[in-house]
Amino acid sequence: MGMIGNPHDFLILTNNPLVMDCLDGRGDYTIEYHPELNHRAILVKARDLIHKGHILYTHPLAGSVKPNETPYKSLIVSLVPHGMESEHEIMIGNAIAVYDKFCKIDWSDNEQALRDFQLIDYTLLCGAIGYDAAAGLSNKNH
Amino acid sequence: MKLELGFIKISDIQFSKECKVENGTLYVDPEAVKAFMYEDDDVKAWVKDFSFDVAKPGESVRITPVKDVIEPRVKVEGPGGEFPGVISKVDTVGSGKTNVLRGMAVVTAGKIVGFQEGIIDMSGPGADYTPFSKLNNFVVVAEPVDNYQEHKHEYEHAVRIAGLRAATFIGELGRNVTPDETKEFETYGIKEGIEKFPNLPRVAYVHMLQSQGLLHDTYVYGVDAKRSLTTILNPTETMDGAIISGNCVSACDKNTTYHHQNNPVVADLFEQHGKTLNYVCNIITNENVYLADKQRSSDWTAKLCRLLDLDGAIVSQEGFGNPDTDLIMNTKKIEQVGVKTTIITDEYAGQDGKSQSLADADPLADAVVTGGNANEVIILPAMDKVIGTLDYVDKIAGGHAGSLREDGSIEAELQVITGATNEMGFNCLSAR
Repeated sequence: MGMIGNPHDFLILTNNPLVMDCLDGRGDYTIEYHPELNHRAILVKARDLIHKGHILYTHPLAGSVKPNETPYKSLIVSLVPHGMESEHEIMIGNAIAVYDKFCKIDWSDNEQALRDFQLIDYTLLCGAIGYDAAAGLSNKNH
Repeated sequence: MKLELGFIKISDIQFSKECKVENGTLYVDPEAVKAFMYEDDDVKAWVKDFSFDVAKPGESVRITPVKDVIEPRVKVEGPGGEFPGVISKVDTVGSGKTNVLRGMAVVTAGKIVGFQEGIIDMSGPGADYTPFSKLNNFVVVAEPVDNYQEHKHEYEHAVRIAGLRAATFIGELGRNVTPDETKEFETYGIKEGIEKFPNLPRVAYVHMLQSQGLLHDTYVYGVDAKRSLTTILNPTETMDGAIISGNCVSACDKNTTYHHQNNPVVADLFEQHGKTLNYVCNIITNENVYLADKQRSSDWTAKLCRLLDLDGAIVSQEGFGNPDTDLIMNTKKIEQVGVKTTIITDEYAGQDGKSQSLADADPLADAVVTGGNANEVIILPAMDKVIGTLDYVDKIAGGHAGSLREDGSIEAELQVITGATNEMGFNCLSAR
């Protein structure tokens, strides 16, 4: 059972393929990759786990790239329940409300922008877990 | 610590073979600036070429996408140099004399990522929303090497350094020029300050620094702020180039290096220093993504406020969403140790202004100054000339599909305009 704050207890929820390419199998954390889920659905998945007592490790609104722009989302919750934190429940609820508030911008026709959104999401995640983002990029799985 | 700033008024910029400042005009050779930028190995490795332009107030010019804005300065007396720990050695700055080329800026522009934003219009309605339309801008447009797509970290770093080097080169031209105006700024040691102003309230500035990751970073004496604990700076260190911006997203509320050099909270607190309050120091703290970092940093902010026996603190944030949580955590904890707070932020209240403005809130954060609503929609007419590229304008943050119209005008939210809703209160939008 993972201790709070220990990477063994990190469950990374992501729909970002770059996170898989750079982080899968590189540490003690667990990755749940959901390419079929959109940004909002990743937030909802995290919310459902928080309701079951998992704690939130990273801020769901990380990054100044607004949730209406980037289709990619990675965040970390605990691998096992530790008891529900009401502050985390409020934080994830607010994040979903913010997502719904912004007018959506569709970037799906711009390959380069999509790759850059993946990069930003991946880099913010690396900052949170103390992983060298640039090193990960030069040593991808695929 | 005492700093004297000498302001050299710059009212025009001319390209010239000879580089000098004379009678308020900056004469500069772009090739010489380029050569100085390319002395850096990282610039050499990642920037294929630079092009240069000058944009003056009132011209029909649009600069986009803007990366950073920097005020050229030169240390003429005392320890340290420009941008310590990055361009010059890491010596502590904030004392002695520094000459400032006032009325101009170095603006870096060019593509870094595929969704980039940041518009400075030099005339028209957009000009009213950015403070940089009032400056003579020396614009440096960077063009990346061909394989930069796989090396965004390295390229962002190279463009950041290039801009700082251009500003350093130009600032140096002011070394032997007699300033038009000089001004002194001084804060005192803890005991000294209490003895000097026994009856004035002790106030500090809690300066939150963007520190989430690539394109969202701030550096203090060259240190990435996300790797630092909450700490203290003399206000004059901030004024003297100790803090630089590595933040390239969210144009309206990112703090450029120019904002750090000319932080209006620092300026206004100095204005009242010794009159209505005792300006004790700046407390710098970060805005990390990992929640335990947020707790640690905000605990330390409150601890320092208490340790310094403050009566009040002004808290400013940078960005939206994730930083709102740091803002509220800081404010709540500072209030809980008995120190009054006022926060400065901007708002994302929706295009109609009716939505909740921040992603977090607390009853203790009951004194707020706003820098305006970043979702407000504005129409920017076409300009005769574009410096940089309009490639991204169609979809930049706040813009939406079709926001770049056939006639070259742009319908977008204020988010796209550099400095429009600055959260230090640098611009003129607010609410009453």
